[in-house]
Amino acid sequence: MIQYIEQIFTHLNTWGLPVIMLLIGIAEFAFGLYENQWTKNERILDIVCFVVPKVVVRPFIAYVGLLLFPVFLPNAKNIFAWVPFWWGFAIIAVGDDLTQYWYHRLHHQLPWLWRFHRTHHSAPYMGMAMASRQNIIYTIFFSQIYLTTTLVYLGLGYPVLFVTGIKALITTGAHSSIKWDKPFYTIKWLKPIGWVLERFISTPATHHAHHADSDDDGVGHYKGNFGNMFFLWDVIFGTGIITRQYPSGYGIKHYKQEEWYAQFLWPIFKSRKEGSELAPNGPMVGDAVPLEKEVINRGLLTESIV
Amino acid sequence: MKTDKVTQQKIIRDVLISLVLYALPVILMLLSFKITGQRPWKKTATTTVNKNA
Repeated sequence: MIQYIEQIFTHLNTWGLPVIMLLIGIAEFAFGLYENQWTKNERILDIVCFVVPKVVVRPFIAYVGLLLFPVFLPNAKNIFAWVPFWWGFAIIAVGDDLTQYWYHRLHHQLPWLWRFHRTHHSAPYMGMAMASRQNIIYTIFFSQIYLTTTLVYLGLGYPVLFVTGIKALITTGAHSSIKWDKPFYTIKWLKPIGWVLERFISTPATHHAHHADSDDDGVGHYKGNFGNMFFLWDVIFGTGIITRQYPSGYGIKHYKQEEWYAQFLWPIFKSRKEGSELAPNGPMVGDAVPLEKEVINRGLLTESIV
Repeated sequence: MKTDKVTQQKIIRDVLISLVLYALPVILMLLSFKITGQRPWKKTATTTVNKNA
């Protein structure tokens, strides 16, 4: 039985998850959940972001890690292999996901970091298509990859296999436009489980709220709900809201459909869209620019509208 | 553009709480070893030598 579960997680971390994402993506597309918002520019961006990290970035980091660790930490290989499985599981689950919580939160709360994470929020839809959508710099410095690689070298590779597998399933489910959590809010006997679930892990309701295009309608909360696998961090730090509702719109209000290559490779390539956060002289954070100024900049209106 | 002061203070407070959270599973593990008397790091790989070979 254990061997069978082990096989599942081994495959999940290699070809399994991309296959699950493709199947859910096909189902979402078949149900029309992208509502014709998947334009050519969005399609190219989503597909490039889905493929490049898996084919280039992760193998590169693993290769570099295998080269560097024996040089800098020659005596540390498997030094913690004695740690019992469930303690290893807990140490990695906390270490990995809390690090990602901070990586994510700081990209929202420190203005100079926002443009590295903006690509993930520019999609005007939720679903498998946008789940992997990230700027290349954000992906390369995805801090918990390094932490996890280090822990594998130190001998915690076996629990890492299970933590990363479970985490991938939870984060994929939270991005899906299939609202799997809805029965937990509507069916009476499931409600207590739902209460625990929505405080413990990311669900479509809480994570969709993070991708909302509004923060003041009582549902959307893009200024919070930063948790990836665990929502618990948002509960502890007071950065989350739970409404059991789904936002009416996704993305960012000031989105200018920037070129896919600018969204993927900013600041190496910049956008030609005037007033864009990704343009050479664009604002650091678009929604911090008063609408009046932004409209004047675009030459559409010269009188105050705020 | 700068992060407002309230956000900065919350970040510092939450980073300090996070340090405790990072350490928590390690502390609990060591505590469990102390209570149960387990010493898993002392286990070394054993090699069985077949003397009949």
